[in-house]
Amino acid sequence: MQAVLLKGNQDGYQLILNQSASFTEIIAELKRLFDKLAAEPSSLEAARLSFDVLTEDRILKSGEKKQIEDLAATYPKFSIHKISSNVMTVTDAYQLKERENVHLISRTIRNGQEVKLNGDILFLGTIHEGGKLITTGNIFSMGNIAGILHAGYPNSEEKLILGNIHNAQQVRVGEQFDVIDDEKIDDNDQVVAYVNDLHILAYGKLKELKQINPKLYNRIGGQ
Amino acid sequence: MGKAIVITSGKGGVGKTTSTANIGTALALMGKRVCLMDLDIGLRNLDVVLGLENRIIYDIVDVANGRAKLPQALVKDKRFEDRLYLLPAAQTTDKTALNEDQVRDIVEELMPDFDYVLIDCPAGIEQGFLNAIAGADAAIIISTPEISAVRDADRVVGILEQHPLEEEPRLIINRIRPHMMQEGDVMDVDELTHHLGIELLGIVFDDDAVIATSNHGEPIVLNENNPVSKGYRNIARRLEGASVPLMKIEEQKPGFWSRMKLWFKRD
Ligand SMILES: Nc1ncnc2c1ncn2[C@@H]1O[C@H](COP(=O)(O)OP(=O)(O)OP(=O)(O)O)[C@@H](O)[C@H]1O
Ligand SMILES: [Mg+2]
Repeated sequence: MQAVLLKGNQDGYQLILNQSASFTEIIAELKRLFDKLAAEPSSLEAARLSFDVLTEDRILKSGEKKQIEDLAATYPKFSIHKISSNVMTVTDAYQLKERENVHLISRTIRNGQEVKLNGDILFLGTIHEGGKLITTGNIFSMGNIAGILHAGYPNSEEKLILGNIHNAQQVRVGEQFDVIDDEKIDDNDQVVAYVNDLHILAYGKLKELKQINPKLYNRIGGQ
Repeated sequence: MGKAIVITSGKGGVGKTTSTANIGTALALMGKRVCLMDLDIGLRNLDVVLGLENRIIYDIVDVANGRAKLPQALVKDKRFEDRLYLLPAAQTTDKTALNEDQVRDIVEELMPDFDYVLIDCPAGIEQGFLNAIAGADAAIIISTPEISAVRDADRVVGILEQHPLEEEPRLIINRIRPHMMQEGDVMDVDELTHHLGIELLGIVFDDDAVIATSNHGEPIVLNENNPVSKGYRNIARRLEGASVPLMKIEEQKPGFWSRMKLWFKRD
């Protein structure tokens, strides 16, 4: 059984770590392989060799990844391009699902309550004064907002908030926030709050979304 | 087996103690056996409002710590034969004098002997609040039409949603001044109830007589014709399951004849 398999294809070199080998075996084998490669005349010609590491159905801890990268770094011409795996942890999978999902929320968020999520939110509920809705993604609201909305938490300025926010106490996108005064924002449910090129919260209309956030505009099927 | 109801508000001074005393007295007048529990440790008032201050021997902390048996600490209100009792709060400033388990045990011990255990909650949402809701089956939220009171009521409803009691909380709007409500200076009953999104149990008008009577240790419900008294009697009947229509805000305006008199006076 070979602990590490070296493969070459048109994209470069791949190191496949046998999933039934122990990590100690793998490191030892890698070192042997690197030594051999470094001594080979053909490798002397190449400027640099960058490897993709595939761990099969094994998940390496960040310390283990670092060990592999450090090992490669001891050879002047070698480096690790990326380390990938066929599998992911349940936590990561859950977070991915959360990030990719649009959450539908229709509850009432009361004074002092804080609802914190990952991903985009379609909000149909009510936020009372002093209530907070916070997410890493965008917020699309068709609800009643008298509290605080925070999209792109903690610092993604490319996220936005869409909906009627003229009664909100505050609007936050990434690290930018605004205290909403009654007259500042239209009483209209097609208002978009976003961070502009000057890193200032700005407000636009839904029909301007294409200019404001082309990526999102394309994703939701605009053209 | 009785029902334990906590009377709470978040904000201080909105009428928790007044409501506890008056609803309890109204229920006793209806023939129910009622125990009023004062959980405002350190700032006990319920005894004063009921005129029972001088008769306190032991308090709830004595019971919790085994220095007294529960029946020894109960103060009987002689006006109602055997139907109205008070379990007084302690005057200690020690915030850890009582915990949730102790309160739960005491409420459980009271339940078989009473139809209602009404728990007067301290202001705030700290340990005292947690103690007060610990043993309760239901909650009555008191708010005035003032925004700060409404905010705090909202906060408390939110906390109760996260730690649900057996029954959904119900709302009493206290200290209503019909004139201000009609002028739109404060939120009206419908707006306020709708905003908080809980069932309205009743409304109580603002009346100087509340202060005067509680100074005499005589809950206002004993004064049959007072509008505040009517409000609390209606609330007690609704607790008993009766469907009683809400008092009209306009009813409180001076009647036609007294307004006529006013017109003449003005000249
Ligand atoms: N409907 C009313 N009309 C007039 N005065 C009232 C009314 N309800 C309560 N009050 C007065 O308001 C004051 C505060 O009432 P109370 O002590 O019942 O409030 P509380 O919520 O128990 O206060 P705390 O939070 O301090 O325990 C008292 O002086 C009381 O007499
Ligand atoms: Mg009180």
